[in-house]
Amino acid sequence: QTKLLLFPLSSSCSASFHSSGETQIVSEQAIQREETMLQCIFLLSDSGEVMLEKQLTGNRVDRSICVWFWDQLLSHGDSFKQQPVIASPTHYLFQVVREGITFLACTQVEMPPLMAIEFLCRVADVLSDYLEGLNEDVIKDNFIIVYELLDEMMDNGHPLTTEPNILREMIAPPNIVSKMLSVVTGNSSNVSETLPGATSSCVPWRTTDIKYANNEVYVDLVEEMDAIINRDGILVKCEVFGEVQVNSHITGVPDLALSFVNPSVLDDVRFHPCVRYRPWESYQILSFVPPDGQFKLMSYRFRVRKLKSIPLYVKPQITSDGGSSRISVMVGIRNDPGKAIDSISVQFQLPSCVSSTDLTANHGVVNVLSNKVPTYVRSYEVVLKLILLSYCV
Amino acid sequence: MDSAATSFSSSTPSPVDYIVLLILRPIAAISFVFVFIALGWLLAWKLVLVHVPLVQEIFGLRKKPAKFKPQTRRISRYYNSINTRNSSAPGSGYPPVLVQCCHSSSIAIIKPNYSRVAISHLWSSLEPPSNRIRLLCSTFSQAMAPPAQSSRNPSPSQPSGKGEVSDLRSQLRQLAGSRAPGVDDAKRELFKKVISYMTIGIDVSSLFGEMVMCSVTPDIVLKKMCYLYVGNYAKVNPDLALLTINFLQRDCKDQDPMIRGLALRSLSSLRVANLVEYLVGPLGSGLKDNNAYVRTVAVMGALKLYHISASTCLDADFPAVLKHLMLNDSESQVVANCLSALQEIWNSESSTSEEAAREKEGLISKPFIYYLLNRLREFNEWGQCLVLELVAKYVPSDTNENFDIMNLLEDRLQHANGAVVLATIKVFLQLTLSMADVHQEVYERIKAPLLTLVSSGSPEQSYAVLSHLHLLVMRAPYLFTSDYKHFYCQYNEPSYVKKLKLEMLTAVANESNTYEIVTELCEYAANVYVAIARESIRAVGKIALQQYDVNAIVDRLLQFLEMEKDYVTAEALVLVKDLLRKYPQWSHDCIAVVGNISSKNVQEPKAKAALIWMLGEYAQDMDDAPYILESLAENWEDDAPEVRLHLLTAIMKCFFRRPPETQKALGIALAAGLSDFHQDVHDRALFYYRLLQYDVSSAERVVNPPKQAVSVFADTQSNEIKDRIFDEFNSLSIVYQKPSYMFTDKDHRGPFEFSDEIDNLTVGVESEHVVAATSVDANETSDLLLSTSEKEETRAMVANGSDYTAPFYDSSTPALPSQGQSELAITGLLGTADPGPQASTAIDDLLMGLDLTAPPAPASAPPPLKLNARAALDAGSFQRTWRELPVAISQECELGSQGAAALTSPQALLHHMQGNSIQCIASGGQSPNFKFFFFAQKAYEPSVFLVECKINTSTTKAQLNIKAEDQSTSHEFLALFQSALSRFGLS
Repeated sequence: QTKLLLFPLSSSCSASFHSSGETQIVSEQAIQREETMLQCIFLLSDSGEVMLEKQLTGNRVDRSICVWFWDQLLSHGDSFKQQPVIASPTHYLFQVVREGITFLACTQVEMPPLMAIEFLCRVADVLSDYLEGLNEDVIKDNFIIVYELLDEMMDNGHPLTTEPNILREMIAPPNIVSKMLSVVTGNSSNVSETLPGATSSCVPWRTTDIKYANNEVYVDLVEEMDAIINRDGILVKCEVFGEVQVNSHITGVPDLALSFVNPSVLDDVRFHPCVRYRPWESYQILSFVPPDGQFKLMSYRFRVRKLKSIPLYVKPQITSDGGSSRISVMVGIRNDPGKAIDSISVQFQLPSCVSSTDLTANHGVVNVLSNKVPTYVRSYEVVLKLILLSYCV
Repeated sequence: MDSAATSFSSSTPSPVDYIVLLILRPIAAISFVFVFIALGWLLAWKLVLVHVPLVQEIFGLRKKPAKFKPQTRRISRYYNSINTRNSSAPGSGYPPVLVQCCHSSSIAIIKPNYSRVAISHLWSSLEPPSNRIRLLCSTFSQAMAPPAQSSRNPSPSQPSGKGEVSDLRSQLRQLAGSRAPGVDDAKRELFKKVISYMTIGIDVSSLFGEMVMCSVTPDIVLKKMCYLYVGNYAKVNPDLALLTINFLQRDCKDQDPMIRGLALRSLSSLRVANLVEYLVGPLGSGLKDNNAYVRTVAVMGALKLYHISASTCLDADFPAVLKHLMLNDSESQVVANCLSALQEIWNSESSTSEEAAREKEGLISKPFIYYLLNRLREFNEWGQCLVLELVAKYVPSDTNENFDIMNLLEDRLQHANGAVVLATIKVFLQLTLSMADVHQEVYERIKAPLLTLVSSGSPEQSYAVLSHLHLLVMRAPYLFTSDYKHFYCQYNEPSYVKKLKLEMLTAVANESNTYEIVTELCEYAANVYVAIARESIRAVGKIALQQYDVNAIVDRLLQFLEMEKDYVTAEALVLVKDLLRKYPQWSHDCIAVVGNISSKNVQEPKAKAALIWMLGEYAQDMDDAPYILESLAENWEDDAPEVRLHLLTAIMKCFFRRPPETQKALGIALAAGLSDFHQDVHDRALFYYRLLQYDVSSAERVVNPPKQAVSVFADTQSNEIKDRIFDEFNSLSIVYQKPSYMFTDKDHRGPFEFSDEIDNLTVGVESEHVVAATSVDANETSDLLLSTSEKEETRAMVANGSDYTAPFYDSSTPALPSQGQSELAITGLLGTADPGPQASTAIDDLLMGLDLTAPPAPASAPPPLKLNARAALDAGSFQRTWRELPVAISQECELGSQGAAALTSPQALLHHMQGNSIQCIASGGQSPNFKFFFFAQKAYEPSVFLVECKINTSTTKAQLNIKAEDQSTSHEFLALFQSALSRFGLS
């Protein structure tokens, strides 16, 4: 009796149990299903307008998905904003936002999420590299170049070449020099006549026939220190990330080696594909054949467990009485570093309930950047910029 | 001295002279020189320079010598004829007819215009008839353009760019046949305009013909733009797309590999089914091209061809060619493309063809995997991802092999591309699954790269990596206990990263680091962003529930209560409530603080419910509890149903502790509750009322029994699900924290996916299933956004068939807050009950399954297989089960001639099979081919069999694919099924 009560529908109806084809699709779709990864890439401006659309497979993705996406973005506000992976009713969307431009990719199948995100980041990097900065106008002016690039970077949903040096040889960037050059050589297109030699060489990031009058290599070490200091001025957390950026202009196919004085402090390293792994493992030497021009040779994380303090000290003080409150941030240099400091900028955000501010700085300039949301005139982001000129100990 | 002075003064020039000397003369000199130079240049320009090609090029004077190309001529003639056809004259190869037709039609249309005179004048001035034709074709088609366009494309849905589009059309037509100098630049501008319209979203497909006409050009940029355009609109204009085939095919034979590649790519991107035959030739030669770029494109082309028309691709034997390329090509990009193409082709073929299934197996065989691994370094980063994905599926034969592969891949962990790193990690984890100790070492090894990935990439990347880290921490909680500081939030991170970091912090907290983590989390509670502040308070609460040493945490939570921010208070209240359920010993401290909170400051239903629960539970410790409850009861209508339920219970509890003070409140609450609109509230009020009426002391025993502390709150996700997600490492499942079948299903349920075959299917009780399907769908879409605690409920309901779990839930859930541990255990079990379809199990079966003392023993060869005659399965579960299970048996069997004869419609077989306890869930097809999906269920177990049966009545053969939950009995089932099938038609 219980049984009947619990399954009145299924047990009595099973005699005429006939679906409308739902099940049929199980097997049919398994065959029909395209396993391509990304189906479509959209570029949206910061007002939600579709600037560019690149369909990658036969299953066209309708533009209405962008409308849906933008509606979601507006309705969900901050928490939803910029979340990289979103499920729409029909597709899964990956988005990467750079300089107000949203790179949106759609897929319908399971795929490594980081792959899609990495790819979009790479697209953004290559575009900003090609167009010398990213903004709406620059993309609209050069959309042909963007199409060409996307065409070479991805075919049928599979990423192909994203190495900027190779792309540069296939499609010349749209600058004055290349225009002059193309005119002088009588080749009126920005597409090179010959295919890059590198595609067939064993060093895919470099062509063999590079020539320079001066052979020079510049190496920059850029380190970023993230530290959290609690209200008592004690260091809570400190991490250091570094990058070795190289700008090489060398003839031929050089083989370079770079060594560090004290490589043991490096906690974890990530290399550009050109770096050979074995020499690093045995001798901590970076041995590589560099790509031409600017590139990031390696990035690393620094071991800072023994570090007790950072070169700067920051002491915030907050006092309030009645309707107004006073925030004072003291920033200074500890007396241990021996290097000159060019500039320091202090940024903090005030909550939206702050109605007016009066900012002063002992040294340097104060800028008040109002938030981009036009309705909240009262919210400010404050940058206290203290410029200390060549401070030496 | 003096004379010198005077002579000097006398010879001193006047100021005018100074001006002449110092300013005018130099100016005159300079201007003279400039004029001279300018004249010289002018002469040189006029006489020499204009004729130098380089200079012409720079100043845009170049008259491009029109190369003589016979094909172009032939094609342009063809286009011209098409052109006339477009302008509403029937095309024909014979000049007289053409002239006649053009003449009449043009006159007819031109009548209102004044150009008739001019044209007739031209007409008479041309002597040879062929020239006349040409004139007609070109001039008329230009003149006719606007009317022709408006008649052909009258749709009002055309966007505002209509005027511009027709403008473009006429300009394109002018340029189409012209060989004038600089025409390429003009074309380029026009093309750019067309494509920019296309980009904006204006429909420019009506220009297709004109664009194709203009596309005959040696200029690569023009070609690229044209390819782009054609690729975009070919599907809409399949007839006109035929025009492009010609020039694309020609370009496929170009000298320049770049052009060959581009042309091949666009040719294969046309995706027009009836043009497939033109694709096979160029693809074949493309695959044999000596340039790697062309081969790369051709491989992808073969895949595209497969998607357009699988049979053509297979007939041309492209898979074999691809396989050869994959094993022998020197270029890694070609190999990578071959690999991805073959994977797709064989994957989808393997269900129908034995050979493809074998080939697919071959992809993860030892020699092939080794071949790929040895070449791994040649691949670019994306190719490496692809290979690593494949390697993760490979099962090495012994441990040495395991270590070899891992040693080889170790340096991939240092790759700059995060996708490669994650793919490598997946391989490592998969390889060591069976070796526990190595598995732990792997965790240690991958820790550093993962942490670097989290903190050094863009926020989007760290989001993806963090979700993977979260999964790993669930598996190995000790992993990051010393590195918890990496998960401290930075002020400028986007909130989605912060949220994940907070989750990580809760997950890694243990005895050693709780204090630091909680201190840090408390800082976030004052965050400007309310969402983050809330999250961080919840995180503190979660840690408190995990830990045994909660001293410090309780103090912090109580501080939150005093922060006088309503959202902080609200979150903290909910947490304090949970905390008290687990650690009643803290009640004294907590109640002292909670008692100070005015209920008016608490607005959120959840917080209010928590506060009310505490008021009821600890009524004896709070002096004014009855009066607060009374005032709340007086404002009955202001609260949410959830709060009202709690209020009722709290007042009841309070009543048994302090009857005289609470009596009034109880009266108000019961009266309001009985007349409540909400059914749960009404029922509960009625229940209490009757209980009190029946016997007050037993009512007290029911409502206010001594409580036991909750030791463990039910886990929201079952271990099985967690394992499943873990198997899908490096996929979207991780981001959504559920296995892919739960969310990728719905992609294939959307209306646009329905194939033509549905039309042939018999429609039975359609409405029910549509409803069932949509409800499942709705559940799945909504729970993507649900919180984890709700997920499991929905999932269990979906999995078990919502009809029968629902009553269970309804009865136990509302009782939950006021009941003790035993109920919780039951609901916990319910939530984690076997998700397999067991729709026909009776309720006592279910209860038996829940009984922990009797674990369901695997059926060890039940003597004869008996099927449940009343088996039931809804379409959704069928679909899911079908997807999950592997094919147990695939066999062809004889239907018998009588059977074939009797099978005139699917219905006949259905009734027959039903007689044999085998139910049909879907059927379709027309004579002679039928297709059925059957299912059957064992008599005393929930285990089901699923059958796909394809019957061809002309050959009297039936192809069976059987899937079974219990693999051991699948052969018996096959025998049963075959015997049932063979009896068909005999009776």
